[in-house]
Amino acid sequence: MAEYSRLAQGKFTAVTTGAAFAITLPFLPDFVKVINLGRIAAGAGVYSAEWQRDMGQGAAVLDTANVLSYVTPATGTGIRTVSAGLGEQMGPVVLLGAGGGITKNAGAPTVTTTAAHGLSVGNVVVFSNLYQTATTGMQQIAGIPFKVVTVPTTTTFTIDWDTSGTNYTAIATGGLNTNASFRQVLFPALYAPDDAIIAAVAVAADGINTKITTTAPSNVQVGQEVAFRIPRVWGPVELNSLPNSVIPGSPIYSYVTSVVDADNFVVNVPFASLTAFNANQPFASFPGLKFPQVVPVGDINSGGFPYNGNALYPSPTVFNGFQGSVTVPVTTINGPAIQGAFINATFQGFIVGTAFNPTAADVILWRAYMNDYNT
Amino acid sequence: MTSPLFMRSNNSQEGVLAWVSERLAVAMRQAEDLILRDYIVSAASQINAGGGQNGDNPTNFGVSDFSLVATTLDTNNAYKFMSGIEGMDRFGTGPVRSSYFMLSSTELQSDFDGLTGQGFLNQWNYPTNASALPSEYGNVFNIRILTSSEAPVARGASANGADVYYNTVLGKQAITHINQDGFSMNLIYRDPYYSGMLAQNATLAVKFAQAQAITQDTAIRNVLATRLSGLVF
Repeated sequence: MAEYSRLAQGKFTAVTTGAAFAITLPFLPDFVKVINLGRIAAGAGVYSAEWQRDMGQGAAVLDTANVLSYVTPATGTGIRTVSAGLGEQMGPVVLLGAGGGITKNAGAPTVTTTAAHGLSVGNVVVFSNLYQTATTGMQQIAGIPFKVVTVPTTTTFTIDWDTSGTNYTAIATGGLNTNASFRQVLFPALYAPDDAIIAAVAVAADGINTKITTTAPSNVQVGQEVAFRIPRVWGPVELNSLPNSVIPGSPIYSYVTSVVDADNFVVNVPFASLTAFNANQPFASFPGLKFPQVVPVGDINSGGFPYNGNALYPSPTVFNGFQGSVTVPVTTINGPAIQGAFINATFQGFIVGTAFNPTAADVILWRAYMNDYNT
Repeated sequence: MTSPLFMRSNNSQEGVLAWVSERLAVAMRQAEDLILRDYIVSAASQINAGGGQNGDNPTNFGVSDFSLVATTLDTNNAYKFMSGIEGMDRFGTGPVRSSYFMLSSTELQSDFDGLTGQGFLNQWNYPTNASALPSEYGNVFNIRILTSSEAPVARGASANGADVYYNTVLGKQAITHINQDGFSMNLIYRDPYYSGMLAQNATLAVKFAQAQAITQDTAIRNVLATRLSGLVF
């Protein structure tokens, strides 16, 4: 009986303490085992976890310092399979709750939930109903996909946006905050690079190296050609690809000169002056508010990735919304592609949930099987 | 779709195989469409509808949204897909402007009907619907609307927690779809003799390779919209 079985194994290095991570496979496994060499060496924490299909999605048997425990499917923080093929899939509504809210902060507002939010660094969420009163709150940012930047506790996380402006009112206990909610965008990077919402525009002293911060990963590459679509209320319309006052109808594109991390990249685009980015939109303007965007439109790369001693034709890599893809993009296991070309980053495999609780830099071994036969 | 007559045989699997292969062929075409759909949703820029009155972001469709997106594409020198339809002396009909295509969800059809008299013209009210496509629902100003149940929807993702519909409006030069030589639409059947050492199981599969590209980013926009009111199915 080995006609249809699939076997795979590999190694993964944890990037963020306590975060879930995804392993991409060319099949959907019905058995997974993960072993954390880092925790075994430390003599504390979860040494290993095991899952098979009959346990149900999100379950796992954990070995925590030689003590076995069982994570139920209802808890859901164990191991589950993932088939990321269709876009626009959203997780359940998570209410911030009576004690929940969002702080005012210039670059890293803290979102607080009453119950555990279950998110990991790199996940992407969309907020709804950010009212403090009927006419105040943060509805200006509702509907924007935000990457989870940090997860200080199980009931708090931060996002990248400037909510310090006078038009924002903190979401806090005692108002309509109980209606405020978010949904997770389950697979935010199925096709890359991606249209992205701009969170900030910073201009270097020479006026050329302009750093673009996006609210979620855009997956652009060095050499990428990008276009800007910035409505006038947001400020730096000088970046926009159209109108072109010199050659009417001919779009002006910018080129990515460096990629800092999942949400930041630098472009070179000539302009005499740049209007400051203005995130402080009036609350009352939110119905129909059009967001500032950066769109990949092409690239100047003409070949594959430079040879670095590893695979000769490596798979393209993306920041796909899971741990491991925050500072370094993860492989898609798809065929080789030209850098900067649009790629299909759909994937399947398994996700190891937060119950596994690795520490950053832990080396984790994994095995995954799809068996011929299950009784 | 062509029925896979080539695989007819006299064994008892014939009916099952024919049925499964037909479903597989449909799935294959749908997979092609969904890949292209999701790619466009990811790669093209967006305009939030703001002409509606539901107080959400995006709002429901107002006729000004159709005007805005057509103006945007015109300003970007996009080519329209269809030339107009001249008015005729027929009751209840009106002329149709030269138009871009918009791909929308069937769930928005009642909202389009609600714009009747403000600019929406159902395709049955065209002077002649000879040029109307089977999935064409109607026209607003310079936009002709095609609807599909497979159009992309982000459930509960609006500012007020409503479903957000992605409506792709495109000019003629906006996108292209490339089928690679020898890899377009292969429906594969291998009988049991070739599929296993013991000749127990047949193989039925589909295989295709395709590439799609936005050839002119200024000629395509995703207009995001919510509905005026909730759906009742």
